[in-house]
Amino acid sequence: MALADARAIYPALDARPADPQADAALLDQIAAWCERYTPIVVIDAPHRLFLDISGCAHLLGGEAALLKDVKSRLKRQRLCLRAAIAPTPGAAWALTHAGERESVDENHLAEALAHLPVEALRLDTSAAALLKRLGLKRIGQLCDAPRAAFAARAGQNAMLRLDQAFGRAGEALTPRRPPPPLYQLRKLAEPIVTLDALMLVTQDLCESLCQILDEKGFGAQYLRITAFGVDMRLHQIELRLSHSERCPKMMVRLFREKLEREAERFNAEFGFEAVRLDALETSPWILRAVDLAPREAIYDVESEARLIDRIAARLGHARIGKIGVRDVHAPERASAALTNASLDAPAPQDGVMRRPLTLFARAHPIDAMASVPDGPPLRFRWRRVQHIIVRAEGPERIAPHWLRASDAKTRDYYRVEDAEGRRFWLYREGFYDGAEPPRWFLHGLFA
Amino acid sequence: MLHQDRRAANGESRTPPIASAHAPGALLTEIAPASPADAPAAFGFALGWALAHANGLILWAAPEHLEAEHGAPYAEGLAQFGADLTRIMCVRAANQTDALWTAEQGLSIPGALALCMVAPSPKGLSLTATRRLLLLAEKHQSRCVLVRLDPLTASAAWLRLSVRGAPSQGAARELGPPAFDVRLTRNRMGPSGHSWRLAWNAHDNSFVPAHALDGDLVQPAPHGPAQPRRVRAI
Repeated sequence: MALADARAIYPALDARPADPQADAALLDQIAAWCERYTPIVVIDAPHRLFLDISGCAHLLGGEAALLKDVKSRLKRQRLCLRAAIAPTPGAAWALTHAGERESVDENHLAEALAHLPVEALRLDTSAAALLKRLGLKRIGQLCDAPRAAFAARAGQNAMLRLDQAFGRAGEALTPRRPPPPLYQLRKLAEPIVTLDALMLVTQDLCESLCQILDEKGFGAQYLRITAFGVDMRLHQIELRLSHSERCPKMMVRLFREKLEREAERFNAEFGFEAVRLDALETSPWILRAVDLAPREAIYDVESEARLIDRIAARLGHARIGKIGVRDVHAPERASAALTNASLDAPAPQDGVMRRPLTLFARAHPIDAMASVPDGPPLRFRWRRVQHIIVRAEGPERIAPHWLRASDAKTRDYYRVEDAEGRRFWLYREGFYDGAEPPRWFLHGLFA
Repeated sequence: MLHQDRRAANGESRTPPIASAHAPGALLTEIAPASPADAPAAFGFALGWALAHANGLILWAAPEHLEAEHGAPYAEGLAQFGADLTRIMCVRAANQTDALWTAEQGLSIPGALALCMVAPSPKGLSLTATRRLLLLAEKHQSRCVLVRLDPLTASAAWLRLSVRGAPSQGAARELGPPAFDVRLTRNRMGPSGHSWRLAWNAHDNSFVPAHALDGDLVQPAPHGPAQPRRVRAI
């Protein structure tokens, strides 16, 4: 129906432009929310979700109660929905399409589907139109018709969908969140509450996971512990490692570090009834030969990697790293964490230190006085202390990036030393011939 | 008499005894600025000390809030100072406790050197904290250098050095290599009280006597032993 026709019928119609991206994002959010019922949630764009509730329904008191819970909770969020439970995804699709029955079991499947229209079989429009033209309006009629003749006319798809709806053909669904390649689960007889008990379970999980890793010749790089609370709340601890690890002792040690750090946030409430350890990322384990007689004391890479993991587990990954040099002119952007910087920075041949040892994130404004307009300052005041400059070298002119900071001013950097032998890295921003007088800043400190 | 000391007695240019005789045994060294304004010089000297004495990993741990006061380590500057950036691991700790914990972790690697900044605080670092560091260093054959910006209290350190930035020598208006006035204020292995003016040689990663010094600043200890005794701390 065209919008004009719709408006003619109902003048107060509220029309909005379609936004498929926002719809997809909302569907994804709803899918994430649905993971409270089952870990396997499949998104069927543009507006359907499959929930594989095999073995999950009893947690909410049966299939009918689960369906009621889904519907009432989503309706409370002002979402319109149709939901149905069926033995196969195809049948559930058909039931929601028709919107008559909400639940059907295996024995009544054929009977429930028989009177539904053929469109309920997930057919493309041309195939459905053809079937209708041939007078086959109900699924039941299609079942009774000779297969070969229809497969030739309506395409293989029509029969495949029919078979899938009745469970005669398998159907592979891709879950929104793929299950981890390796995991270990412990269901506990009694809920556990204390940190020590949780650590015991963790140790047990780590040991059995490492056994599997050992057999496969793999090590874990990204681990996650999920503790399932009695009150249906999940608590997760993630552990990223800088190298592949398959030593349970090390894993437990790092998890303990994390747990002790987050003990306050980690509220067990009524206890945990199950704990699962997932290995989300694994990589092949590389065996290295041990140098039995090292000629010089070199640090080995493995102990360094373990040190990084230990520190990162407690302080966070953002706080530790090697710093490297980036090939950019702006001094404040030239030093960076390792990800996009090079560690290979040779010292200059002349041995002159042109850059300070420490740099301020924001240059400090100073009061400076220069003898000649374009010369180094004679004296300056920083943190209420007057410094008389005895020696100065420069200027080193650094122009701003023309695209990134086109309104920034050119800087002239000077290395200066005061009477007491303290060295500073100063710069003058702008020129004397402009409308505004130039300003002086202190950017770094030399040893 | 040590070779260096004999040359010292002859008034020759020599490797300062501080960099050769005492240092290899010093597992825990404290470096303090002579005045608060000399903190950058103390950083530079501590880094030089670390580069000269460690052949493994250098773990630089500093509490975050020191960055506002003294700036953050700058990669290009460190490289020009002669540091091999692959060996330096920087840790920005949230507080002093975390920084010290990081240093302790770093000390568990044999051959590593933990360089830890101690931020100013009213009470200063406790003896227990320094003792822990020393025991870890002894156990794992690693070293620790503390840059003490807090009040100097009782400590288990073997060496304590007071550092002041020294003016450049040489041609007018030119900045020379980084230079330091260093005073040995405490030495568990021998006499203390000496002072040196040292310049940093970025090429060799070593301290050399500042060239323009004519007089013999390093007096052989009048009452101390010529061969420093190796004594255990505390």
